[in-house]
Amino acid sequence: MIGRLVVASLAGHRARTLLAVAGVAVSAALLLDMVMLSSGMRESFRSLLTSRGFDLRVAPKGTLPFDTEATIADATATIAALRESPDVVAVAPVLGGTIHLPQRGGAAISSVALGVDPATQGDYVLLTGHEPADGEIVANDALLAASRHHVGDTLTIAGGYDPQLRRFDSSRRVRISGRVRFVYLARDQRAAAMPLAAMQALGGPARRDRVSLMMIRARAGADAEGVRQWIARRLPKVTAISTATAIAQVEERLSYFRQLAFILGSVSLVVGVLLVGTLVTVSVNERIGEFAVLRAIGIARRTITAQIMIEGAVLMLAGALLGLALGLVTARYLNAILASFPGLPQSIDFFLFQPRAAWTALGLLAIAGITAGAWPAWRGASLPIARVLREEAA
Amino acid sequence: MPGVRRELRTIAIDARLAADARLTLGDRLVLSAQPGDAGDTVRVAAITKPSADPSEVSRQEYRVRLHLDQLQSLTSYGDRVHRFAVQSRGGASQDRAVAAIDAAAFGFVAHRSKDVAVETSATFAVVSRFHRAIGVITIVASAIFLLCILLLKVDERRRDVAALRLSGISRATIVKSIVIEASVITLLGTLFGIALGWVATVIVNSHYQGVYRTPLRFALVTPQTIVFALVLSIVLGIVAGALAALRLARAHPLALLGRR
Repeated sequence: MIGRLVVASLAGHRARTLLAVAGVAVSAALLLDMVMLSSGMRESFRSLLTSRGFDLRVAPKGTLPFDTEATIADATATIAALRESPDVVAVAPVLGGTIHLPQRGGAAISSVALGVDPATQGDYVLLTGHEPADGEIVANDALLAASRHHVGDTLTIAGGYDPQLRRFDSSRRVRISGRVRFVYLARDQRAAAMPLAAMQALGGPARRDRVSLMMIRARAGADAEGVRQWIARRLPKVTAISTATAIAQVEERLSYFRQLAFILGSVSLVVGVLLVGTLVTVSVNERIGEFAVLRAIGIARRTITAQIMIEGAVLMLAGALLGLALGLVTARYLNAILASFPGLPQSIDFFLFQPRAAWTALGLLAIAGITAGAWPAWRGASLPIARVLREEAA
Repeated sequence: MPGVRRELRTIAIDARLAADARLTLGDRLVLSAQPGDAGDTVRVAAITKPSADPSEVSRQEYRVRLHLDQLQSLTSYGDRVHRFAVQSRGGASQDRAVAAIDAAAFGFVAHRSKDVAVETSATFAVVSRFHRAIGVITIVASAIFLLCILLLKVDERRRDVAALRLSGISRATIVKSIVIEASVITLLGTLFGIALGWVATVIVNSHYQGVYRTPLRFALVTPQTIVFALVLSIVLGIVAGALAALRLARAHPLALLGRR
């Protein structure tokens, strides 16, 4: 019987029911988006950092990886020192810089270039071809498209370019051995990689035996924090950063989005609850005569309370389900906007759907909305029958 | 030379570095291009205030200003600079200056400040687009909420409307009175919302200026924002009120009283 009464009541006020469901759906969509935003960046960044299996990054003292132009001196000795630790399985040195591809008329195409150890590198994924040997480079699609070269082509690269004299320094001929996707670079960023020694040679004496960064893979089961502390004691001229620290630092820089997500998520939760609370209150006020009649013919107070609360629950659940679909669509749109941040790695997502967090948020909204209707429902079912019937008849 | 005391070169540091490293005017520091290098000893001659530059907000790095020749020497950069800032008389002379530099100085490219600003503010353009999208979603949610509340509010008045209709008051008068009532409620709500928004901007600015240690204002209530909020809310209020009122006015008075 309750079910029929609920359906009759909701169908009897179609416009109101539809608007309420739409209101809850928009609130639920915004809440879902904000939950996705609050955890998306962290999880996405964690996944990016751990995707290549490295647990620690070693940068020049007091700097973050590639945050400054500072480099680590005596790279060979530093790598040897790092390998002394029984917990260090692999060390992947990286030297960052810029290379120039001379074009006709004295112009040049500039590109990010990384010097790596092809055997241990974690900066790119090889798509076609093979790892670069001496005299070879690998390039990403953006660079290949800009320079109109293909895998197997030979081209000239230069370590320096003087735009005033249009003169290139440290030029050499190299062959493109493979096409790659760089994990930490933006999609449209032109980039190439080559063996570390070649990159150091391109930079001249200033870059001899220097690296920008070393990525460290720890032994399975080893405590990354313990390794970090060991490095801090053993090598005072470098800073070792664990994945957890890197995530914390990125979170600090992007704390604005997390706080925005918290504020807007809270507002949408309050709006959803207010909407259903108001609807149930007004609905109860309108129908006190109906409830008095039901009570007079012997319907229990708890049955009437349950009917009113089920009405609120139906509105909340229908709105939440519609909001789930709407939220996923808007999250995709908002993610596409934020993905156009200059220099953002292409694998970073600001909005990440995590089923557990999403269902928790929508469940919280539904429970809060249903609870908001509990008091007016109980009040409606508890009014004095005789007085209400007399007033309604008047 | 023995007996001759060499005057130390001076630098300016930003207030964040001064606070974090507990540095004061006159302190001596050693600056080096790489950690562990010998470097130069310098004296802190000035502490600079952070500028209200959006591009510096998320960057936690410190700023140290040196004399050009000292930085060139310290970094072994030679007689080189990254850029020159050129002041023109403005207007057409700016275009002439850009054309003259591009034509005369081989290897140089002159950029207008406004073009550089557009290029460097790409991040903020993205944030701005994101805010606009969030704003649209919020406006849709508010519109539905407002429509819902007004529909309920007007529905509550069905007995009053029935009594008015039965006593000869025309439908048009009833609709007008409900629309006026809805507009007044919306106006009061908007004014309250603007006050709430202003308080929120004070809290937001105070919080983020502390977090990022910048004088930049993160949220602003401008006259344009107020006008936009007022116009949008009142239009929404009138439309929602009119829809709800028409729905009620079309019904038979006895039906409104539940007698049909």
